[in-house]
Amino acid sequence: MTQYILRRFLWAIPVLLGASFLVFWSIRWVPGDPAIAIAGELATPELVEKVRAELGLDQPLPIQYGIYLGRMLRGDMGTSVRSGLPVFEEIRIRLPRTLQLTFFSLLFAAAIGIPIGVLSATRANTWIDALSMIFALLGVSMPIFWLGLMLIVFFALTLPSWLGLNQPILPPTGAGTWQHLVMPTIALAANSMAIQARMTRASMLEVLRSDYIRTARAKGVPEFSVVYNHGLRNALIPIVTVIGLQFGTLLGGAVLTETVFAWPGIGRLLVDSIGYRDYPVIQGTVLVITVGFVLVNILVDVLYAYLDPRIRYT
Amino acid sequence: MRTTRFWIVLLTLMGLALSACVAPMPAAEAPGAPAPAVGPKTLTIASGTDIENMNVHRVTSSPSFSVLEHIYETLFYMNPEGELEPLLAESLEPGEEEHTFILKLRQGVNFSDGTPFNAEAVKMNLEYVLNPDNGSAFAFLISRIREIEVVDDYTVKLILDSDFAPLAAHLSHGALAMVAPSALEQGNDFLANNAIGTGPYMLERWDRAESVTLVRNPNYWREPPAIDRLVFKVVQEDGARLVEVEAGTVDIAVRVPPAEAARVDANPNVDVITTPGLRTIYIFFNVTREPFDDVRVRQAINYAVDVEAIVNQLFNGAARVSDAPFAPPIFGYKPNPPYARDLEKARALLAEAGVPEGTSLVLYHPTGRYVQDALVADAVRAQLREVGLEVELRTLEWPQYVPFVRAPAGENQVQFAMLGWSTPTMDADYALYALFHSSEHPPGFNGAFYSNPEVDRLLDEARTTVDPEVRRELYAQAIDIIWEEAPWLFLYSEVQLTAIRTNVEGFIVHPNERLIATYADKK
Amino acid sequence: MTASSGSIVTRQGGDVALRAPRSNLSMTLRRLARSPGAILGATLVAMFILIGIFAPVLAPYDFEAADFVKVRQPPSAEHWLGTDELGRDLLSRLLYGARLSLVVGLISVGIGVLIGAPLGLISGYAGGRVDQVIMRLMDILLAFPSILLAILMVAAFGPSLTNAMIAIGVVSIPVYARLMRGSTLSIKEELYIEASRSVGTPSHHILTRHVLPNTIAPIVVQSTLQIAVAIQASAALGFLGLGAPPDVPEWGNMLQKGRTYILSAPHIVVFPGLAIMLVVLGFNLMGDGLRDALDPRMAR
Repeated sequence: MTQYILRRFLWAIPVLLGASFLVFWSIRWVPGDPAIAIAGELATPELVEKVRAELGLDQPLPIQYGIYLGRMLRGDMGTSVRSGLPVFEEIRIRLPRTLQLTFFSLLFAAAIGIPIGVLSATRANTWIDALSMIFALLGVSMPIFWLGLMLIVFFALTLPSWLGLNQPILPPTGAGTWQHLVMPTIALAANSMAIQARMTRASMLEVLRSDYIRTARAKGVPEFSVVYNHGLRNALIPIVTVIGLQFGTLLGGAVLTETVFAWPGIGRLLVDSIGYRDYPVIQGTVLVITVGFVLVNILVDVLYAYLDPRIRYT
Repeated sequence: MRTTRFWIVLLTLMGLALSACVAPMPAAEAPGAPAPAVGPKTLTIASGTDIENMNVHRVTSSPSFSVLEHIYETLFYMNPEGELEPLLAESLEPGEEEHTFILKLRQGVNFSDGTPFNAEAVKMNLEYVLNPDNGSAFAFLISRIREIEVVDDYTVKLILDSDFAPLAAHLSHGALAMVAPSALEQGNDFLANNAIGTGPYMLERWDRAESVTLVRNPNYWREPPAIDRLVFKVVQEDGARLVEVEAGTVDIAVRVPPAEAARVDANPNVDVITTPGLRTIYIFFNVTREPFDDVRVRQAINYAVDVEAIVNQLFNGAARVSDAPFAPPIFGYKPNPPYARDLEKARALLAEAGVPEGTSLVLYHPTGRYVQDALVADAVRAQLREVGLEVELRTLEWPQYVPFVRAPAGENQVQFAMLGWSTPTMDADYALYALFHSSEHPPGFNGAFYSNPEVDRLLDEARTTVDPEVRRELYAQAIDIIWEEAPWLFLYSEVQLTAIRTNVEGFIVHPNERLIATYADKK
Repeated sequence: MTASSGSIVTRQGGDVALRAPRSNLSMTLRRLARSPGAILGATLVAMFILIGIFAPVLAPYDFEAADFVKVRQPPSAEHWLGTDELGRDLLSRLLYGARLSLVVGLISVGIGVLIGAPLGLISGYAGGRVDQVIMRLMDILLAFPSILLAILMVAAFGPSLTNAMIAIGVVSIPVYARLMRGSTLSIKEELYIEASRSVGTPSHHILTRHVLPNTIAPIVVQSTLQIAVAIQASAALGFLGLGAPPDVPEWGNMLQKGRTYILSAPHIVVFPGLAIMLVVLGFNLMGDGLRDALDPRMAR
């Protein structure tokens, strides 16, 4: 087991190196010039050159990458071209917001998705089942950003007008209070909720068909207890695994959600930075998200291997 | 066994999630509206973007200057009517020697840290800006200054390369505001995060990407402002700013989308005020390239595009159809009859110039840089389609766009492209020289590669002439030629729409996109 | 496992990696016809394809004809879905947009299949070092949340619909590679292949005659689901301003531009989103149905 964990983590190193390499080169393909962004459009060509030298952008690319890696290892992610502040700072300020949003979405998705899945499985092949699964499919088919926009229309326009108010029920964008959190959480959770509902249903169905449940029923255990104590508890193992994987996916989805709701997290930072060709921030943000993603995936793999020993040997 | 494992997994994941949640909470509880910071009178302004940093000599965007000009003051102040007023300076007079100016300073002004404002401070600031190591984008405003001499504590002698009529106007630019020498001495890292000026407010705190809070300077040298605290809150989304101002969670919201202005104005608690802008939006033709080397084609396009309809329908009137290459508040403005839409004339001119139906053109445009820039490009495309021109739109992001339109002759690929030009000095020299003088071909901003010796001569002469009336006449002549030769598709100048709660008085939206709260009060 | 829009690729591609039993086509179709979801999905997909092909015939107006006097009008008898921000007929634009989405879906999936599948095939068949190298490269691509990788690529090569298609396609390569490798491995071990090998059949022959036909089913299922993902992803890129220029009626693009008017003219964002949702739903339903039909063991 220890060896397996070690192997998984060791393997993360070349993957992350490869990923950082990919980010570094792809971003530099762009014809845009961050020196312009920092010097301003009115700057003389000499000043632009100067800024470029200051940023180390006049060095050959392999050297720039070497410098970049060296700094990374020392925990120095460089300085934002736009704000002149350390990238680490920029990310540190915003990362909590993203984690907050991701976490609440995950929670919300599980709180709705799992019960729907259970309901669906216990009423398999009834209209409740069909309805739940259509609901779940809609959840995966809806573009996150569109759902976000529709929520804004609903809470800021439609619902207030039904209620005769001339103020939005919820603040449409921004962050700060719990009200700000409601819409982005729902929008980001929709997908994950649907996936969890489907997974729960499948997993529950399998468990409910098992001999173990049949025995419980035969012994006269009340149906409620059969479903929740015996069934769900066992069915949850694959579900929890899926939830773990969702965490990483949600981090990616946060880019869209944060853009719709002007949520000041790292997703929004990334999109803004692309507009400014702020290389250091783009690299830093992508790297942070990717590292998080890789780590969560490894953790889930390890847990899964722990649960199901067969996995380790494949 | 399975059950035990399940609980281990669940607990681990919960722990993971919890740590993700617990860690951010302290930061999450420092919300956009800094509740504990609210004093007796706080004015909150919903701004579209965060300030770049606190170094007034290095920032370039209007939102940054809007914040910093409450902390820092300039030598001269350009009032909203376009008149220069002395601020930290008392006067700027030509000196006895050739190309010199004597700058007299106001006495008894201190920076907020108590250090005095004096001639030495002026010299340090101007030298800081002129030093290319500091990367000040607006250094060109005073690039004609060769030497700065301290005559006495309150007198500075500026030695220039040549006479330069707009010098005082240029010194009114926010980027040339006076920073305390005590701050300058601490270097760029300090300046990026701190601000020590002579202005009515001082920096209290800056929550990156969320808000900047300023507090009244108790030792301000003029009458102190009525508002105790100014909060510039970053609300990027247009709609969200409106919702906040309508709900009263902010007092002022900038950049109201034109389509929403009427609805917001109908709210009894909110007024939408209109301020003519100094930014003119245009599409320049590369006059060295077919088919735009033919003046008839350029005129035809001016006739084909219905700027009036763009302004009235798409912007609900919130822009001003151009009748000159720059906006009326700017010194030297002289109107010409706009090219009203005339499809027949446009088709005839195109036929005359031998441009067949179905000719393809490529229009480059930025996105998100100017109000509705991509929409306007799309509108121009739709209208040129009606005279048989097939326009392909190519969108570039701003950092990519600038070097693209400024590429020198050999490498320049522009056929026609959209750009905006703001004239914060409110003087025609700034508005015309860089855009139409033949010495300013790319990498300068004369992206049209326009050159007309007569225009060059007029602009050169006006630049070194001191008599305003003579200058005005010279600019009028230049404008007439430019209008006729149409190196641009003349579009419109922007109008700023600002939503203000009705209980706020005396708030100024300056044509140069600065927001001034110094004279504001709240009932 | 169905596609999620937060993720451009269906990560749980392994779900369908199980090799389908060699059931005959009519059996499969019969099973498909018994599932109401699959029928609904197939109907939506068929409608979408027909609209894509016949957009010029179906569109009531010239989708590019602007009328500034009629901007942002709500739905009416004249313009069923209203007009957009330049006074163009929204319905006509949506119909043309279907065509673009169809192209995006097909091309990006094509890229994923044509590059990913052969890589997986080689990886699985050759094994050893080749397998290691290919799969480790795929791991690097999979290390990114997929939308992030697509954003990066489009930002790097410049925003355009073509680049968006390529990016989405490239991002899906590892999915196909893994899927194909899994199928190849399991088939390779089967006795009849062992048998062919022992009688000296050349590799390419084994690959094309035996391995390939048996992997087609999972690839088809995956591709159906992947088209849904691609359409959603291209809309997402368009929404982030990384897609087509403003005049192109790509659905995500329309959403992005209509966002400004969300409170005064919400119909401009309601309908394109609805269109995306219906099409994606169609492909998802069809994909699920196909998978169940091809592999009855997985039917739930």
